[in-house]
Amino acid sequence: MTELSANEDLKATGRVPSGCPVIHLDASPPLEVGSHWQKANELREESPAFFNTHAQGYWVFTRYDEVREMYQHPEIFSSESITPWEPDPVYRFVPTQIDPPDHSKYRQLISRWFAPNAITRIAPEAHEIGRRLVADLAPAGECDFVTDFAMRLPTEIFLTIIGVPGSDADLMGPWVEDFFAGFGGDLAQQEAMGAALGGIRQYWVEVLEARRGESAPRDNDFVSLLLHSEIDDEPLDDALILDILTVLVLAGLDTTRGQLGYLFRHLAEHPDDRNRLLAEPELIPSAVEESLRLYTIIFGDGRKVAQDTDFHGCPLNKGDMVYGLVSGANRDPRVYDRPDEFVVDRKANNHLGFAGGPHRCLGAHLARMVMRVAVEEWLKVIPAFEVASEEPLMERGGGAMLTLLSLPLRWEVPA
Amino acid sequence: MKLTVRSDLCRGHGRCYDLAEDFLEDDDEGFVTARGQTLDVPADQVEDVRNAAASCPEGAITILED
Repeated sequence: MTELSANEDLKATGRVPSGCPVIHLDASPPLEVGSHWQKANELREESPAFFNTHAQGYWVFTRYDEVREMYQHPEIFSSESITPWEPDPVYRFVPTQIDPPDHSKYRQLISRWFAPNAITRIAPEAHEIGRRLVADLAPAGECDFVTDFAMRLPTEIFLTIIGVPGSDADLMGPWVEDFFAGFGGDLAQQEAMGAALGGIRQYWVEVLEARRGESAPRDNDFVSLLLHSEIDDEPLDDALILDILTVLVLAGLDTTRGQLGYLFRHLAEHPDDRNRLLAEPELIPSAVEESLRLYTIIFGDGRKVAQDTDFHGCPLNKGDMVYGLVSGANRDPRVYDRPDEFVVDRKANNHLGFAGGPHRCLGAHLARMVMRVAVEEWLKVIPAFEVASEEPLMERGGGAMLTLLSLPLRWEVPA
Repeated sequence: MKLTVRSDLCRGHGRCYDLAEDFLEDDDEGFVTARGQTLDVPADQVEDVRNAAASCPEGAITILED
């Protein structure tokens, strides 16, 4: 067993054979906002690579070039597991956990549905949803942005794109919360995580049944499209369709919620940037990219080593887990000027917030659109707002994707 | 100035055609249509294309100066 031999070496020397420094880092507990990025900064500047004795033990790469290299070499870094503390997960995300060459078959089925052309077509509906949600909240003069808006908006837009009722956001929201409470490594939450997965899956079973046996695919209906699709001249079986639909829910909703929370916290605390976006709304897409870079919700991303390799001096054995510290890469001063500042109109922003390589976030174009809609529609109605909390804000641990647990905002309501 | 988009690296992030929208376009799958090609860059597009190339998370875009 690779893990055991690595651990024995650790006990003997405090270092793995390459001289790679050893840490013990469990990133799963919630911390004060910003703590995870600070930790990533410290690790990156201390060493490009570590061996972390958390769980069964795994390698950590902290800098931009190495993280990108990990993403771009799936023949070495397999997606069979993407959580380094769980090398053999009970779930199977498709196409997330499928390696090339099969990966592209699945990916092509889905990618058109989430390509910019397709996303642009539903933008008017997305703006309408955004306007309605902001209009509902505005008169109160306060809200918890994370639960009242940041989860609701991407969920309704996502369901609309798939072709099911946006109001089913009432069901999806709690399931997504329960799933990610367990996904981040909290063992006490495993049962709720399993139940949430079951709920999401059963939802799609019912959507599937309602469409089965129809002679042609319904217009603008993703589930119907999947039922009429083939891979290698064979129709997709139900289990595969359910895997795909489930991963879209899990990958798309919690992430956008997390990213929106950090962006709006920034706008609440930085009136200069807010006012600049009010005066120059054409900068909103750039501000969205900068929030994806600076406020990266992916603390790190895992891969499983598929072949023995020497990676920048680290002796990786087949079966080892690795963790690319995306949040470290996106603030790497070797790549970015003023890496810890929010530069609204930053140029050359090649952040890895949507990963890279063949598993580049399929929903990236959708996520960007949702974030642009959020900022545009919110600022039109609520141009000035602030954080309404004396206590420090807390963020969920980096085992799953980072998100503010709560973001109380307040604003003046015109008389 | 010329631009080359490496088809083996391009993954359809969409940064390039977003930032150089008057010069580059996307296809139905979200890839830049210039994938795998080398194009001459008009003088009035040079600034946007430089930013687009430097913003590619895959490093898939190479600029060849005249």
